[in-house]
Amino acid sequence: MSDTSQLISPSSNPYSSEHASVRAELSEIDASIRTASVFFVVSAIGWLMIGTVFALMAAFKAHQPDFLGAYDFLTFGRVRSAHLNAMALGWGNNIIFAVGLWIMARLCRSPIQHKGLLLIAGVFWNIGLTVGIVGILRGDMTSVEWLEIPQYATPMLVVAYALIAVWGIMAFRFRKGEHVYVSQWYILAGLFWFPWLYVVAQAVIIWFPARGVVQSVANWWFAHNVLGLWLTPMALATAYYLIPKVLGRPIYSYYLSVLGFWALAIFYNWAGVHHLIGGPIPVWLISAGIVASIMMVIPVIVVAINHHMTVVGLHREVWRSPTLRFIVFGAISYTLVSLIGSTMALRSVSEVTHFTHFTIGHAHHGVYAFFTMIMFGGVYYMMPRLLKREWPSAGLIKLHFWGCALGITVMVVALQTGGWIQGMEMNNPEIPFLEVVQNTIPWLKARSVSGIFLTVGHIAFAVNFFWMLFAAGAVRAKQEPTLLTREGGVA
Amino acid sequence: MDVYDYKELWPILLLGVAFFVVTVVVLFWSARKGHLRNFDAQAKTIFTEEEPEGEVSDTFPESRKLSRSRKDRK
Repeated sequence: MSDTSQLISPSSNPYSSEHASVRAELSEIDASIRTASVFFVVSAIGWLMIGTVFALMAAFKAHQPDFLGAYDFLTFGRVRSAHLNAMALGWGNNIIFAVGLWIMARLCRSPIQHKGLLLIAGVFWNIGLTVGIVGILRGDMTSVEWLEIPQYATPMLVVAYALIAVWGIMAFRFRKGEHVYVSQWYILAGLFWFPWLYVVAQAVIIWFPARGVVQSVANWWFAHNVLGLWLTPMALATAYYLIPKVLGRPIYSYYLSVLGFWALAIFYNWAGVHHLIGGPIPVWLISAGIVASIMMVIPVIVVAINHHMTVVGLHREVWRSPTLRFIVFGAISYTLVSLIGSTMALRSVSEVTHFTHFTIGHAHHGVYAFFTMIMFGGVYYMMPRLLKREWPSAGLIKLHFWGCALGITVMVVALQTGGWIQGMEMNNPEIPFLEVVQNTIPWLKARSVSGIFLTVGHIAFAVNFFWMLFAAGAVRAKQEPTLLTREGGVA
Repeated sequence: MDVYDYKELWPILLLGVAFFVVTVVVLFWSARKGHLRNFDAQAKTIFTEEEPEGEVSDTFPESRKLSRSRKDRK
């Protein structure tokens, strides 16, 4: 891989510059973003736990409808929507702000400026989201999937997000050196894509509603792209930064990583329309979405090859690293969920999977098994470096990993198997609809069991994190940190 | 869908096209800036003196104890 004749010159590479004014130490950068990142991680874990409670309620209600049925604010429709928004905008966005901006600051080699502004924006983001979730529980939500937050809460979210994203873009603008690592591409693009998606979808559907059919197109353009152009780039940025970083080995092919990024950027935007296969929109529009979905195989295979070839021969190191256990699980899930997603975009497959639990399993496969697991890995690497403390309990990390890995595997297998059977039965006119519904119950119960596994993992994660954060004296007493150590000392 | 209703999709289509055009423009900009050259060297820029190439920088505590005891035995 190495070719010393082509190395970036030290003068233009801030990582190795001899001039202190150009070279910023990673520890200095970490210290500058510590307060904001810790705030975002605390917020993210708070929303993760709240979202988990809503998820358990919704899961149990699916096979036991009278569970908590006496309270109108805990009916299935509200709890399910509260779960989705708590996880996507609460856990997802906060952890992106924490890990994504930390990686951006490190790669830009620039200690952050105006950290107070970042913190204030974060506070307003979480206030806006709290207002939105309470609004959903009160019954004020919209009827648009992924955009259920009531209209009165969205302006605060937009303004808060804009402040956070502008900070990320400014860090990039004033980066030291000309080089742009592939993770920076992903993060920068995501910071632009998310507001574009959110503002356009809000405008076309909520504030100045277009006709119904156009709303549905915009709805799925937004919902699908939130995963593909917001959560996916941030998770891939984290994987592309931390897999080589932890292993001490450069990414197998930087060329492939760049190719993967640009293929995602060009193809993904069109793919969401495949959610409307069979719907009352022009057939060619759906066909364009199907073509884009199949084209997504290119970046997915590129990423899979690149990640696999980077870790090949170092599987023991992967297993011994808390960070890489989660990240490699997420990276493998990315390959699987993306290939399944491309297949689901085919008309013949969609005929079976549409309107079934298969789609729910697919969504959790992407948002949890891929995105969330990689972000867990990011937190395990980032926090010891920000706080200069080790994780207090290796046992809790393992409990977290196994709870989440088993839980999400059971959930995806149960929902996709049950969903496929459900779809086949729904397409058979000789099977009564009520019988189809009753046949899904065992699979839904399996989903609830998987939720318990996930809850155990989340509690282990939260306990370990707050133990690390607040019991500083006890944690420092440990001798063998999960920090980077060159000669056994803390970095 | 008749011709009148068909026009309702224009905002979405224009946004898709705009999205595509912006992406291509940025790709062109990155090529001009030299980001599509010297790939091998660019892959190494994440390593620093603090976090150098060739060293595993994250392990479970007991894994490190195990590897050290193996080294000591050697």
